[in-house]
Amino acid sequence: MASSSSTLSRPAALRRPKAFRGPTAFRSVGRSILLTLPIALWSLLMFTPAFQRAGRDEHIGAGVVIVFMTALFFLMMRTGETYRWRRIFFVALGFLFPVGFIAALVAQRGTMSIPISRMVSGDTPFCFMVTPSIILPAAFAKTIVFPGSILPTASNPHSIAIMIGIWFAMTLVLGKAWCSYACFFGGIEEGFAAVAKRRRLHRFVTRYSHILRLIPWAILVFVVLVSAAIFEPVYCMWLCPFKAVTEFPAVRNVETAIQMGIFVALFVGLVVVLPYLTKKRTQCGFFCPFGAFQSIFNKINLFEIRFDREKCVDCTLCQTSCPTVALSKESIAEGKTLLNCMKCGACVDACKKDAAVWHLKGTPVAVKPERARLLFLYGAWALATMFGGSILANSVATMMHWLPLK
Amino acid sequence: MLGLATGPVCLATCGPVVVPWMMVQPRGVRGHSRQLGLFLAARLAGYMVFATAVWLAGSSIQRAWVGQAGAGRAGIGQSWLMGGIEVLLAAALVVYAVGWPHRRCAAANPAYAQASARLGTTDKLVRIGEAPRSLRSGALALGFLTGINLCPPFLVAGVRAAELEHLSAALVFFVCFFVGTAVWFLPFLSMGFVQRTPAVVTVARMVAVLLACWYGFSGVYLLIERTFYG
Repeated sequence: MASSSSTLSRPAALRRPKAFRGPTAFRSVGRSILLTLPIALWSLLMFTPAFQRAGRDEHIGAGVVIVFMTALFFLMMRTGETYRWRRIFFVALGFLFPVGFIAALVAQRGTMSIPISRMVSGDTPFCFMVTPSIILPAAFAKTIVFPGSILPTASNPHSIAIMIGIWFAMTLVLGKAWCSYACFFGGIEEGFAAVAKRRRLHRFVTRYSHILRLIPWAILVFVVLVSAAIFEPVYCMWLCPFKAVTEFPAVRNVETAIQMGIFVALFVGLVVVLPYLTKKRTQCGFFCPFGAFQSIFNKINLFEIRFDREKCVDCTLCQTSCPTVALSKESIAEGKTLLNCMKCGACVDACKKDAAVWHLKGTPVAVKPERARLLFLYGAWALATMFGGSILANSVATMMHWLPLK
Repeated sequence: MLGLATGPVCLATCGPVVVPWMMVQPRGVRGHSRQLGLFLAARLAGYMVFATAVWLAGSSIQRAWVGQAGAGRAGIGQSWLMGGIEVLLAAALVVYAVGWPHRRCAAANPAYAQASARLGTTDKLVRIGEAPRSLRSGALALGFLTGINLCPPFLVAGVRAAELEHLSAALVFFVCFFVGTAVWFLPFLSMGFVQRTPAVVTVARMVAVLLACWYGFSGVYLLIERTFYG
């Protein structure tokens, strides 16, 4: 009784807004199932091989992922919301990726650190983050400055060619949406951003957003130039926050101890503390050079978010909700997002006036936006199921190994 | 031929210094040509100083370097030299690419601003994204420091120069080496065409700061390593 009266007495402006439920709010169950059917079939197709050859834990992992991905897509179709359901998948991917990855490392090597023998033999799994760093040395000296194998081997299936191939295919379809539907790092900070009750540094972020969003570009240029100068993947060696939860050079001297200190400090600061304080993806928005590199592909990608200026009331709810400060007052006034938009759908879900819409380039703005959303989501979710889903299935299977259920 | 053959390595080694410096210059190929010319002239001066030094040091330097050729990192006197040069490069990058810090602090002081207005001087606050004035001393300082920085092709050239009989021959050798490597710097002129939005200038300044941190850390690390571990 007391709580209900306090809610009623709260001024209207401070009341939590009702979740907006999209232009096609609450499709019928039958129609939603029909729209979900292609994703359900795709999921089955992706994980059928796991049922044919793997053990019980792998079967459970694949089954869980099929149900999980299909259910989330169904909810996207049913409610008209994108961000809310995508975030569940993305946070799960972020937190479960290290589980499977670390378990595989420990099983293979007995440690998370990379022994020098593995580096020399090119057995280090390739990470897409290195892609910008290897371009100049490869062009100048025909050398891949990463200790990984170009083609897959029995001990290292995550080869350079495969990872770049997957990344390139996904980027052509999704543009920078890779960062919202495929990157297995961003989910951790999105999780920490989600648990925070309020935005503590909102004023600071808003005031300096025009500078903060340029930092990834500066780090990208720095990493590309220095990697070419010293023939080392500088980002991996010195700046990757996620080394703290994946693999890292063994700490054997002062230099590697400093490297490890930097990794841990960046992880704690950019992936845990700042996302919690700001409710933003601070590592993705204010640091990640690969994200800046991905932004270039937004130029050639077909999908984007646009703003219907006739409906927009400049309430800035979209700007506040954007997890990577990819919106400014100027860009909203122009009816566009900035180049670093990750197409996560947070602004579309937050807009109460249906002004923020999904858009297919070359078509009129705000005319059948749900069609553009569907086209985008089919591509994005199919690739998320294939790439992120297999990671999730592997991690679930790993956890099943640990559980005393046999 | 050595210069032409090792030019890409020189380009990669000097690129981190040249790129942010050129990007904070005002747009235009003419201005960029002038800056690159000054940079290369100062680099040639650095080469000449280095050629003289290695020729005077003669066979002793050759012995010391050839033994460490496969080590990847510098040893003996090289560590001191490289450490010092990298710290100086870091300072030069901050001062020239980002701006004179003391001038900005002074300009922020109202009393200084009033005095400046009385005297008619033009000092003002440097705004983020604002293109700086082209400073000749910046190109000269950065060019000279990269000219004496010990990159792998430079060490190869140094060993060859130390073997020569006359100083003049060593100098001519390094001039030829310079001409060969300088050809590879011409593509940097294309940066004059890049639009200078405030965002581009800000990013270039941030890159300069990051590179300064990199060179500073690398230089200090080398110096400490040399001091404590011999």
